[in-house]
Amino acid sequence: MPSNPGAMLSATEAPHLLRRTGFSAPPDRVKELLGPPALTRAAAADLILGARRTRFKPHGRSIENVHDKWIRHMIRTKNPLQERLVLFWHDHFATVDNKQPRVMSNQNGLLRQFCLGNFKDFVKAINKDAAMIEFLDTVRNHRELPNENYARELQELFTLGVKDYNGNPNYAQEDVVQIARAFTGWAYDTRGAAVFDTDRHDYTIDYPLRGPKVIYKTRGGFGPGGQNYAPTAADEGAPEIDAVIDIIFDHIDSDGRKTVARHIAGKLFIYLAQPYPKRPAQPALKPVVDELLADSNFDTTWSISALIKAIIINDAFYATDASAPFLGTDLKSIKWPVDYVVSTLRLLKMKLKGSTQFVNGGSYDQIRDQLTNMGQTLLQPPSVFGWNWETAWISSAALLARAAFARDLTTARGGGTTCFHPEKLIDVRNLTDPNAILMAVTDVLGVTDQLTPAEQAKLIKYLTDNGANSSLDLTDYDTRNSKLNGLFCLVLQSPVYQLH
Amino acid sequence: MAITRRQFIKRTGLATAGAFLGPSFFRNPFLRQAFAANLDGLDRYFVVIFLDGGNDGLNTVTPLADGSSGTLRTAYHAARSSLRISVSDLTPGAIGTDLNSGTPLALHPGLIGLKHLWDLGALSVIQGCGDPASLNVLSHELSRNVWQTGNPAGDPGYLSGWVGRYLAAGYGSGEVPGVNIGTSIAPEFAQNSTNVLAIRRVADFGFPYDGDYPSDLSFKRDAFFDLANEAIAAVQPTLRYVGNTAGATLSASESYPPLSDMYAADRPSFNQMYDGLGSGFAQDLREVAKIIYGVESGVMSVNARSFELSNGGYDTHTDQGTTGAYDLHNQLHHEVGDAVEAFYNDCADMGVANKLCIVIWSEFARRIQQNGSGTDHGSQGPVFVIGGPVGSGGALHGGLYGNHPNINDAALNDDGNTVYSQALGDPFRSTDIRDVYGTLLKHWLGIADPSSLLPVDGGDPNSYWTAPNFDLGFLT
Repeated sequence: MPSNPGAMLSATEAPHLLRRTGFSAPPDRVKELLGPPALTRAAAADLILGARRTRFKPHGRSIENVHDKWIRHMIRTKNPLQERLVLFWHDHFATVDNKQPRVMSNQNGLLRQFCLGNFKDFVKAINKDAAMIEFLDTVRNHRELPNENYARELQELFTLGVKDYNGNPNYAQEDVVQIARAFTGWAYDTRGAAVFDTDRHDYTIDYPLRGPKVIYKTRGGFGPGGQNYAPTAADEGAPEIDAVIDIIFDHIDSDGRKTVARHIAGKLFIYLAQPYPKRPAQPALKPVVDELLADSNFDTTWSISALIKAIIINDAFYATDASAPFLGTDLKSIKWPVDYVVSTLRLLKMKLKGSTQFVNGGSYDQIRDQLTNMGQTLLQPPSVFGWNWETAWISSAALLARAAFARDLTTARGGGTTCFHPEKLIDVRNLTDPNAILMAVTDVLGVTDQLTPAEQAKLIKYLTDNGANSSLDLTDYDTRNSKLNGLFCLVLQSPVYQLH
Repeated sequence: MAITRRQFIKRTGLATAGAFLGPSFFRNPFLRQAFAANLDGLDRYFVVIFLDGGNDGLNTVTPLADGSSGTLRTAYHAARSSLRISVSDLTPGAIGTDLNSGTPLALHPGLIGLKHLWDLGALSVIQGCGDPASLNVLSHELSRNVWQTGNPAGDPGYLSGWVGRYLAAGYGSGEVPGVNIGTSIAPEFAQNSTNVLAIRRVADFGFPYDGDYPSDLSFKRDAFFDLANEAIAAVQPTLRYVGNTAGATLSASESYPPLSDMYAADRPSFNQMYDGLGSGFAQDLREVAKIIYGVESGVMSVNARSFELSNGGYDTHTDQGTTGAYDLHNQLHHEVGDAVEAFYNDCADMGVANKLCIVIWSEFARRIQQNGSGTDHGSQGPVFVIGGPVGSGGALHGGLYGNHPNINDAALNDDGNTVYSQALGDPFRSTDIRDVYGTLLKHWLGIADPSSLLPVDGGDPNSYWTAPNFDLGFLT
């Protein structure tokens, strides 16, 4: 589907754009995009991409503390795209370090710094990121027997992918072994800065049996001679890890396209636009991915920002829009748990409480525990592969955890001192008609256009106690706390609200 | 705090769980009869245990001596300078001799629990399990994906999990035939025709109602169910999936939580035994025991017979250790071995040990040569199959199956891994994982022809799986 920068954003496309590039579609932001003056896709993309970027780092004494500050930042941020991308890159460069909150905080700052920047520079920075050096064993990668962990994931996950879009392998185990040699000798100091120790580095002269540092003899379009990342003795040592990245980014796949560019464009397209399973390099995606590269020049400039603009002005992005109410399209996406939580708090204009960031509502569960129960503990991805996306987010345990969060948010506790104040969101003094109340609530939650008439009828049935009450007095304390809060809760728990 | 089902029933004045069930969710209570054999009909249970991270097969089933004509202990001794297990530590775990190489073998001392099951004839060790696709890049994700789908060739017809395809063939949309202990569905159980629950703890599986307004509870419950049923009827497939899960979850949230108290009250000593083992894995396995006890006791709407759980931490690039109390790999082996033994004894006491089959697998094994204090990713490893009626028809035949991989230096490939080979004449012929799955499907799960659920790949018959063998012999 072609790029279509000049098309005017429609009433269903504007909220879709906001949902997929941020945290939900708040009514005021939708109005801003729809105008007047009405915006084209390109103008809307520029507006979203042009939002002021922050340089936030979640400093904290413990990993839990870092987590909570990151969540708080997402709830407050005026640049939700930037935070959605920090989440993407946290999943992409998935790292765990429970013992060193500072290196994780620093890495989080690095993700925020590069999330819309130059991808090649980004990977070079990740090479030297202390949390990554620790997590994927670069710090344990010695000349005697090079440790392959980082060299493998660098190719498999961070840059090339195992196979290209034609199903051909992009590299061989031999390339893992040879790239592992480049990363010998690196560690980090107490401030978290990468340091290089020549005594631990694998120099060709010391290991004649290992041969020259040649990679991609069988893959990558370099010919049978492959590519030597340290052709002379002067090239050896600290510069090797940058040289390796330069060669990886020049790698071309079996039909002559830049392998890294296709891999990353495909993955970002899946994240923002079309929810194929996370595993990229699916032949069906090849046409749109190549179009994105042609539109963005990502394969030469490596500008992530240009790539994202190409995605969100493409017809393929809007083919997935929230056309009410989810008729036909196979392309709806399950909200990540953190998106579910952050979006909801932003829509309800609520904050988490206390130094441990808990949700009021009787359980006093900390937000980190609630997210863990939903299947996503930030800073604790299950492995270097990050999380499984889409339907993998949905299980009975995860749905109960989402239901518990919705219950805790909307329950009335403490005789009016609850932090949930529906009267600040809708006009409780004047609304008595159940249909009007339902409309007001779904407007606040941004799902009015996504509920079928049958679903609306079920919610009306709830609101009226099976039709027993034709109007509700929301100024009555108990009516408001049971029925209005209950309605908010049900919508947040509903299947439709889990998707965007 | 979430109310329990009992409280819920009391508060709403409704007597049975059946009264809660929405009309379209259990649209056809006799649906199950329309399907072929499944575990309900066979009155059997199936438990899958995943060792996450790539278990070191060589320090799991280990050469104890060179044997009459072999060299594997010598090769092991050379490859594992500091990670090798001594002969004296291994001797109590001796499990007989590898038929091909004549090598006496032993289980890691941490697996003493499994050795006890071996002594009962209830443990089969299937050696050299692997597949032709995972061994080129030794990636966790790729290899897991192959093992979980049972599909090395990436055939788009087989992208669901291999157990999931079995469940989808034997169960309908209104049923809940499987439970995964955890917060997500294991990929080998992935499918979209029936329902698999993810339950961390059955006691906490109640629906989180706001209990402040008891008179509103039944309206809330009905509305949640109504919305789930609307989603089940939706055109949009993702929404349908969420709706199905929501409906099954609400139903199960009313039938499963009481199982915990019931088990604790009826089986106090076994209940405490799992606590005494001190691992999260043992507690996970106890959740399976609670559900099996519920099924056996005839608790309404508790029918799950397939289970999945995992233990993590096997990616031992560093600090793998040997047999010390604080050695990582030894701890992991104890967690699983001790818990599985306890679970087996629990099931035996319930009278269901002969209805039980447990499979323990890992995505790959580890490099033959150690690297520093750990091991890198490697190729083929052992699979354990436990349980069943021992020794008679329809039964598990405890013993050693397959061949120990050839770990001699000269036999390893350029990367230092054992070689996957399906050549019929190869004395160290590997065991393709699809033969293991096929044998389980045919002889335990009641699928007469497992080839309908497992893709064969073409290619070189020496390297690829072109001659299925669904009669490996450990089950008949």
